[in-house]
Amino acid sequence: MDKFALNQFLTLLKREVLEHRNLFVLAPAFLALLLLFAAFWISKQFPRDQLASGVAYLAMLFDGLSPVDMAPVFMIGAIPFVFLLYTYAFVYLMNSLYQDRRDLSVLFWQSMPVSNLKTVLSKVVTIAAVAPFFYIAVLFGVYLIAMIWLTLLGIQFDIEIVGIGYMFLAAVVSLVFVYLSAIVTALWLFPSVGWLLLFSAFAKRTPFMWAAGVFILVGFLEDFLFGSQYLANWVESRANPNQYVIFSFGDLVDRLFNYDMLFGIFVGAILIAGAVLMRRFTD
Amino acid sequence: MKNIFLKNRYTLLLTVLAVYVLVLVIEGAITGREAKVVKFDNPFFDLNLNNFEEFMDNRD
Repeated sequence: MDKFALNQFLTLLKREVLEHRNLFVLAPAFLALLLLFAAFWISKQFPRDQLASGVAYLAMLFDGLSPVDMAPVFMIGAIPFVFLLYTYAFVYLMNSLYQDRRDLSVLFWQSMPVSNLKTVLSKVVTIAAVAPFFYIAVLFGVYLIAMIWLTLLGIQFDIEIVGIGYMFLAAVVSLVFVYLSAIVTALWLFPSVGWLLLFSAFAKRTPFMWAAGVFILVGFLEDFLFGSQYLANWVESRANPNQYVIFSFGDLVDRLFNYDMLFGIFVGAILIAGAVLMRRFTD
Repeated sequence: MKNIFLKNRYTLLLTVLAVYVLVLVIEGAITGREAKVVKFDNPFFDLNLNNFEEFMDNRD
C-alpha cells in the first residue's frame, strides 16, 4: 500500500471516529464515570478500619505475583465495557452503510477518489480495531484512577502498598488481553460482520428486519432444499466465547490460526464482497 | 452472467446468499459438521444438552 492510499484509508478511519464519537468515546467515558462513582459510593458505606484492612489485603494478595498470570482476574472489570462495545458495534454495523444512503452522503463519497471497497473495509477496521482501542483507553483511565485512589488510601492508613503496583501492572496487561480478544472476536465473528454490512447496504428501510428475517428464512430454505441443517450447526458451533477470548499470549496463535477461524474469515469475505458490490445501488 | 448478477440489488442479494448457503452446505457435508451445543464438564455437575432426556432420567 503506497503512502497516498494509506493516508486515504487513515482519513476514512478518522471520518468514522468523528461521525460516531458518541459510540466510541462518550459512551465508554459515561460508563466509566458511572462505575467510578458507584465504586466511591460503595467504599463510603464501609467503616474506615474495614476499608483499611481491605486495601492491606489487596496489596498483600498481589505482592510479588506475575502480572501476566494475574491479568485474567482484571479482565472481569472489562465485561461491562465489552458488552457496551458489542451492543454499539451491532448498531453501528447495521446502520453505517444504510445511513450513508439515507442521508445521500454516499453520493458525495462516491464522487471522491475512494473506492467502495476502501469505504466498507474502513468500517470493518473501525469496529475491529479502532473502537476497541478507545474503550481500552477509557478502561486504562479507570484503572489509573482506581490505583491512585488505592495508593492514597494506603498512604492515609499507613499501609505497605507495593502490592498495589503489581496490581496495576496486572490490570495493564489485562487491557492488552482485552484488546487482543476484541480483535480476535471481530475476526471470529467476521461472517456476522459481513451479514450486517450486506443488509445495511441492501435494505431501503428497516435493515435489522431484513437481516434477521433473511437469516431465519435461509435456515428454513436449506432444510427445505437440501434436507440438512449445516447453517444452524455452523452458527451454533461458533457461539462459545472460549473460541475467541484471549487469556494468555500463548492463546493468540491457537485462536488465530485454526480451520474454523480461517473458514469463518472466508465466509465473512464473501458477504463483505456482497456489501461492497451492493454499494453501487444508491437509490 | 455478470450483468444478470449485478442487474439490481435483489439479484445481487440472491447471488450472494446462494454462494453463502452453497459454501456452508458443501463445507458442512464434507466435514460432517455438527452443532457443538452447550456442554458442561466438571466433577460436580454433568450436563450435555445433546442428550437432555438421559439427563432428566438420571435426575429422577
